[in-house]
Amino acid sequence: MNAPTSTVQTDSARSATPAVVMRGISKSFGDVRALVDVDFELRHEEVHALAGENGAGKTTLMNVLAGLYQPDAGEIRVDGRPVRIGSPRAAIELGIGMVHQHFELVAPFTAYENIVLGAEGGGWRNGRSGRRAEIARLMEHYGLSVDLDAQIRDLPIGVQQKIEILKAVSRGARVLILDEPTTHLTLQEVDRLFETVRQLVAGGLTVVLITHKLREIRGIGDRVTVMRRGRVAATVEGAGLTEERLVGLLMGTDGAATARTNTPGEPSLTLEALRAAANERRQDAGESLLRLEGVSARGSVGDLVLADCSLDLRPGEIVGVAGVAGNGQRDLGDVIAGIQPIVTGRLFVGGRDLTDATVRDRLLAGIAYIPEDRLREGILPHLSLGETLVLGPHHALFGTSVVFDERRVDALARAVIAEYDVAAPDEHVPAARLSGGNIQKVLIARAMLVLQQARVGVLVAMNPTRGLDIGATRSVHRRFEGLRERGDAVLLVSEDLDELRRLSDHIVVMYRGRIVGTFQRPAFDPYQIGALMTGMATGTDGGPPNETGGGTGGAETTRPGRDSR
Amino acid sequence: MSAQADAATARARGSAVGRFVFRETLPYLAAVLGALVVAGLLLILIGADPLAALGTIFSASLGSLGGLGQTLNRATPLILGALAVAFAARAGLLNVGVDGQIYLGAICATGVGLLLTRDTPALVAVPLVLAAGFVGGALAVLPAAALRAYWGVNEIFVTVMLNFIFQYLAEYLATGPWNDPRSGEAISRPISFAAQLPILSSGLGAHVGILIALVIGAILAWILRRTLLGYSIRAVGDNSTAARVGGMAVGRVMLVALVVSGAVAGLAGGIEISGYYQRLILGLSPGFGYMAILLAVLGRHRPLGVVLAGVAFAVLLVGSDSLQRSVRLPQSAVLVFQALILLAVLLATSLRANRRLTVAGTPGSTP
Repeated sequence: MNAPTSTVQTDSARSATPAVVMRGISKSFGDVRALVDVDFELRHEEVHALAGENGAGKTTLMNVLAGLYQPDAGEIRVDGRPVRIGSPRAAIELGIGMVHQHFELVAPFTAYENIVLGAEGGGWRNGRSGRRAEIARLMEHYGLSVDLDAQIRDLPIGVQQKIEILKAVSRGARVLILDEPTTHLTLQEVDRLFETVRQLVAGGLTVVLITHKLREIRGIGDRVTVMRRGRVAATVEGAGLTEERLVGLLMGTDGAATARTNTPGEPSLTLEALRAAANERRQDAGESLLRLEGVSARGSVGDLVLADCSLDLRPGEIVGVAGVAGNGQRDLGDVIAGIQPIVTGRLFVGGRDLTDATVRDRLLAGIAYIPEDRLREGILPHLSLGETLVLGPHHALFGTSVVFDERRVDALARAVIAEYDVAAPDEHVPAARLSGGNIQKVLIARAMLVLQQARVGVLVAMNPTRGLDIGATRSVHRRFEGLRERGDAVLLVSEDLDELRRLSDHIVVMYRGRIVGTFQRPAFDPYQIGALMTGMATGTDGGPPNETGGGTGGAETTRPGRDSR
Repeated sequence: MSAQADAATARARGSAVGRFVFRETLPYLAAVLGALVVAGLLLILIGADPLAALGTIFSASLGSLGGLGQTLNRATPLILGALAVAFAARAGLLNVGVDGQIYLGAICATGVGLLLTRDTPALVAVPLVLAAGFVGGALAVLPAAALRAYWGVNEIFVTVMLNFIFQYLAEYLATGPWNDPRSGEAISRPISFAAQLPILSSGLGAHVGILIALVIGAILAWILRRTLLGYSIRAVGDNSTAARVGGMAVGRVMLVALVVSGAVAGLAGGIEISGYYQRLILGLSPGFGYMAILLAVLGRHRPLGVVLAGVAFAVLLVGSDSLQRSVRLPQSAVLVFQALILLAVLLATSLRANRRLTVAGTPGSTP
């Protein structure tokens, strides 16, 4: 019991005043109280994980610190001095920089141009080239090496992130806020990011990491502040923090919240039972629900984005699609949903040839699609939650009727709000007002409506739990399992390998528009899958991409669906 | 969570009315007031009495039966034009061709009206002429609608270009084949007497066009709110990508929205012929199409708002026209005056919109 206390004392001895102190911060947006009397403290040279479910107020709190929002009440001290942070510029002058979830880089510019952009100084010509030496020094000091002359659009997400960090550091950030930095990263990239974060802290920086992923919180946080519904639930030391304790803090141990969520051990038991049942059923259900035969598709500039992909989904099967973002997964989903035309190959649903069917006909045939980009492809931002909910299911819901029955839509929306625990004041709220996690709940509910209305159903889900908190992720997984039990098929595209391994019956790996490997449960070796994802293993096999198993023990060499034809 | 949500809902309901009044009307009242003050200062600068001018505006447009009738007649094409723009705007389209649609509507209405004989029953003749206007407007927008729906050609360019075509077609007809030689002017022969739109009341001097405009407004509101077509239009207008993912035939929805929009504008042309001029004239539309765009924005693309904006603008037009006569203001001052009020209201609209954005501006949401 003595050991942790003494650590704290040495810490505070090293730097007596905390880097940042926020006291009694409150912030409301209309009726929504985003932050309620929040206290938050950052010590010098620590990695502080700021954790919480969606809508808990993590990002809002940091936006206040970064000068994007003005708090309604409360005070902020930086290095002991009371300050007012009226703008992001004021924040950076105080040494506070933030890297947002969506990067703010100019794609056709080089890394260097992006770093100095907006900080060139006043005149016409100065500043553009004069800061290379300074930036090179920063790169060395913090172990952030990037090619300064590469164009942003050619760089992977992980490197773009480094450039964002460099940008903040080059402007004098001493406190660096990273908002959900691992969202778009692969496993390996996450490891590299954490290495970078450690080097930044070793170099004298203080880092706030906004996240809701358990492993990251426990893996890197010196201290952890957990937020819940706009309040701070606790601030604890990262060392010795158990997963159970953390889950308890995140979910809240009081009242209704725990009653709804299962204990951590329970879902996996249910999973195994479901899996066994599904396996039994599948043996007599030989027919395929969704079959792709040698499907190819072209991108906007005519390049082949999907090459000769074959898939076979049988009733009660979840097939996971692994791959680094941008390797054709999105096109695969779009092609099945009918948004992108098939150039060659055929697509069957329940034996029906739907290769050239419209999106509407596919919806009526029971293809539900959870799109990748929720805001752009999913919601009707200014229409009501109910109107976003029925977009797609409305074909079956209203048939050939002329009248749009608003009461029916509203009733449906109320039911979904209750069943899916959507945080919304009522069913008329514009969809754009919902938080990302709640938008996803609505989109998942919509997919379920499509499936319920059809005889057989196939769900194509693109990264359905990205950005969701633990509770919401679990509930999505349970719904997928429910579909499996019902005899529907799920094509789960995900960049979260853990999720794929947990849910899938098979995992296929996509690389450069091709399916380069297939793995059968339970032989899901993450490193073999990872090697295929990054293209490291394709060369060694040499065979046609479709039929290679990537040389892994658990992978089969041909797909059963293709043989049966 | 639910207790919290309930409390929030209750709070929202309790003050809903007060908040509605505050949020929806106060900014506009403040804007109009501000514009009036600035306009008043301008009037003082050019040596006129601002209060007298203000009084004249309202007394001329609303103070007498005749004035009121004139206001209603003027409001009719403004309302229909603005409804047309607003309807297309709900599908995310900008119909800049209201003028052209008014002209082709008027041409078709005149054509039918010229063919009808004097002893055709009015019950047949009037609907025929109005229907001709309706169809003419739809035809006028059809090229733009088809190009937009099937080839993605921007409807703004096409509708603007079509404006010239139909305006000059009207000029050709009014000066050429349909010209009334006895008048010596660039106007057509009068349409059949039977095809004249009935008068609302003799004292008022207004035709029933305003009623037709209101009914059309109600029908459009019903379509938008209560039909699947309306839902599709609103969905396509709000986020066409999501609508496509949701299986909507985005192109076809755009086509229908534009054709309905054009037809409504064409009806305005038909009503101007049947109710007001009884002939095809040059300058039939003194820029109704552009005013219609402004009014649609002011009415925030909602039929009710558009109707109110149309009436208010007609008051302003008729009233400020009389300023030229009574207060001896130059016409340019009148135009400045009208523009000021428009600018102020637009400013209020965008300020409101900005505030809404800030409220909804959490990282997860986009405007």
